[in-house]
Amino acid sequence: MPEPGGARHSNGVSAVFALPPYQPDADTAAVRAAVRAFLVANPPPADAVRRANCWSVADAQFSRALGAAGFIGMVWPQRYGGHDRPAMHRYVVLEELLAAGASVGAHWIADRQTGPLLLRYGSEAQRRKYLPGMAAGTLFACIGLSEPGAGSDLAAVRSRAEKVPGGWRINGQKLWTSGAHHAHAMLALLRSEAGSERQVGLSQFLIDLDTPGVTVRPVIDLVGNHDFNEVFFDDVLVGDDALVGVEGEGWRQVTAELALERSGPERYLSSQALLAAVIDAARGAGVDNPALNAVIGKLVAELWTLRQMSLATAAKLAEGGDPSVEAAIVKDLGNDYEQRVPLMVQAVLDIDLDGSSEVARVLAHLLQVSPSFSLRGGTREVLRGIIARGLGLR
Amino acid sequence: MRAQLVASAQALFATAPDWPTLVEAGFVQLLVPEADGGFGGDWGDAFAVLQVAGATALAQPLGEAMLAAHLLARAGVVAPAGLVSIGNGGGALSGERFTGWVAAVPFGREAAAVLATVDTGGDDQVLMLLPAGAVTAGSSPAGEPRDRIDYAGVTAVVLGDADATLYGAYLRVAQASGALGAALDLAVAHVNARVQFGKPLAKLQAVQQALAVLASEAAAVTMAGAAAAAALDAGGGAFEMMAAKLRTNMAIHKGVAIAHQVHGAIGFTQDYPLHPLTRRLMGWRSEFGGDKWAELLGVVALHEGGAGVWSEITRWGDG
Repeated sequence: MPEPGGARHSNGVSAVFALPPYQPDADTAAVRAAVRAFLVANPPPADAVRRANCWSVADAQFSRALGAAGFIGMVWPQRYGGHDRPAMHRYVVLEELLAAGASVGAHWIADRQTGPLLLRYGSEAQRRKYLPGMAAGTLFACIGLSEPGAGSDLAAVRSRAEKVPGGWRINGQKLWTSGAHHAHAMLALLRSEAGSERQVGLSQFLIDLDTPGVTVRPVIDLVGNHDFNEVFFDDVLVGDDALVGVEGEGWRQVTAELALERSGPERYLSSQALLAAVIDAARGAGVDNPALNAVIGKLVAELWTLRQMSLATAAKLAEGGDPSVEAAIVKDLGNDYEQRVPLMVQAVLDIDLDGSSEVARVLAHLLQVSPSFSLRGGTREVLRGIIARGLGLR
Repeated sequence: MRAQLVASAQALFATAPDWPTLVEAGFVQLLVPEADGGFGGDWGDAFAVLQVAGATALAQPLGEAMLAAHLLARAGVVAPAGLVSIGNGGGALSGERFTGWVAAVPFGREAAAVLATVDTGGDDQVLMLLPAGAVTAGSSPAGEPRDRIDYAGVTAVVLGDADATLYGAYLRVAQASGALGAALDLAVAHVNARVQFGKPLAKLQAVQQALAVLASEAAAVTMAGAAAAAALDAGGGAFEMMAAKLRTNMAIHKGVAIAHQVHGAIGFTQDYPLHPLTRRLMGWRSEFGGDKWAELLGVVALHEGGAGVWSEITRWGDG
C-alpha cells in the first residue's frame, strides 16, 4: 500500500488517490445474497420518498430485525455482541441496504461511528455496557459535535465538563444533533479543561440521554421532518466512567471518528431511489427517449466509478491505512453526484412537480433536501481543504 | 514487473522517441501472449504504460498498435509488418471484398494496415483488418494525424464482431489518466512557484479548492481506468470501458479548465508544456465514441430496470 510521500501511482507525482481497485473475496456474493434475502423478508418502505436519503429515516423495528439477523456490528468481536466479520462484508451489507432504500437511520450512527470508537478508545466496561445493545439494533447513539458557535470550526466547542468528585458536571448546548430524539446515548465532544482553547483541552464523553438535566428539543427541517435536535445540558452529573478514551485527547479521537464516516456508500447513494424510479418509469413508458437514456447512462457511469473509489478507500481503511485524503475525495465527488442526480433528471424530464407520480414525489423531495448532502458530515469546503493539504498546498 | 515496465516507459517516452524506437523497445507487443512472441502483459500493465504515454504527451499511436496486436493475436491472425492502427467506418462487404471508408484513423497515413470496426449496414458491426488505402489527411486538435482512408474492393480479413471502437475508447481513458495527472503536477508546481499578492498562489484558498477538484477528477479517471483494466483481466470489461470513458469525458471537461485557470496566461503559450496535455485531452473526449456511450449505457439500464441496474453494477464488481 502506498504511503504518503512514498511510491506514488504513475498518475503524476501529485496523485492523492493511488489505490488499486478492490478485489472482492470469494464470500462476497453469498453475503450479498443473504442481505438481499433479508430485504425481501423486511422490505424497505413502499413510499419512494422514504427510500430516498434513507440513512436519515429511522425505524426502530427494522433496526431490531437487522440486528437480530447479524447485520449490525458485523466487524465487532463476538464477546461484545458483534460478529467478527471482515470489514468489506459490512460494506456489502451497507451498500445493499442503502441501494434498496432501507430505513437504517435509527442504528446508523451507533454502527458506523460510536461502536467503532468505543472499540478503539472505550473502556472494557463501556464496551460491555453499550456494544451488545448497539449490535442488537436496540441501543441507538447520536453524535454531539456541533454547537451554536461551532459548526465547520469544531475546535470552537464551548460546552464543558467540570471535574467533580466521582465524575463530571456537564453544561452547555449541542445543535444539529441528528437522531437525538430516538438515541439512548450521545458521544459528546466537550471542553474538559477550564480556560483551554481550540483543539487543546477537549475530551469525549458518552452520556446517557435519560440522565437528569438533559433536554432534547426538535429542530424541524425545511421539508417539515424531524431529524435535527438541540440538546441542552444543565448541571448534568455523569460518572468518571462516562469519559471515553484519554482526557484531553478528544480532538485526536474525534478526528479519527470523522474519517470513519466520510467514504462509505452513503456518500453517493442518497439519490439512488430517484435513479431507480426514473429507470423503472422510463422502462414502463415504453417510449424511446434518447436524451433521457443518455442522462441515465452518464449517471450510471458515475455511480460505478464512485463505487469503485469508495470500495478502494474502504479496503485501505480495512487494512489499517489512513485514507483521510481519499475519503475526502470520495465524499466530495459522491455528494456532487448525488446532488446532481435530481437536477439532471429535472432537466431532462418534462414533469410537473405536483406529487402525482412516484418520480414527481421523490424528485421534489430530493430537490429540496439534496443541498444538505454537501454540508453534512464535513462541508465541501472543508473536504477540499483536506485534499489541498494532501497536495501539499497547505 | 509492472513497476519496471513503468520505469522503462517513463525513461523512453520522455525522450519523444520515434516509431521504430518504440517498436524496438517492445511496447507494441505488450498485450500479445508470450506464446505468440509477445510480452504477455495484462490490461493493468497496458493501463500503466498508456498512463505514461498520456503523461508525456507521447505523439505516437502506441495504444492503437498495442490494441491491434492484441486483437489480432486473440483472433489468431498474423499481424502484418509495420504499423497497424485502429478506426471505425462504414461500407459494404462482399465476400472478402470491402468497399468503403475508415474515418479519423490515428496516424493512418503511416499505417501498413488498419483494424477497423465497420458498419456494414443493418446495425452489423464487423471487425476487419484492412490494408493501406487512399489517404485523405486530417488532424486532431493537438496536431496528430487523424486520416480518412477510402477503399474500393480491397481484401479484408474479417475477425468477427469484437468492437475495436470500445477498446479504443479505453485507450483514451488510460492516456487521459496520465495526462490529467501530469496537468495536475504542472498546476501544483506552478502555484507553488508563482508569487502574486505577495505570496505563492498556492496559499490562496480559492486556488487550493480549485486544485482539489482537479485532483479529484484525475483520481476518478485513474480509478475508472484501473477498475476497467481489472474487469478486462477478469474476462469482462465492456460495461466498465463504456463507463470509464464517460467518466473520463466528464473529468476532462472540468479538469482541463482548472489546469488552465490556475496557470493564467503562461499556460497558453506555445513554449509551456501544458498545451500538449490539454489539447490532446480535449480531442480525446470525441475520439472512439465521445458521449455516445451514454445512450448505450442508458439502454442497458432500462433493460435491467431500477433494481436490476444496481444488481448488475455489483455483479460486475463481484467478478
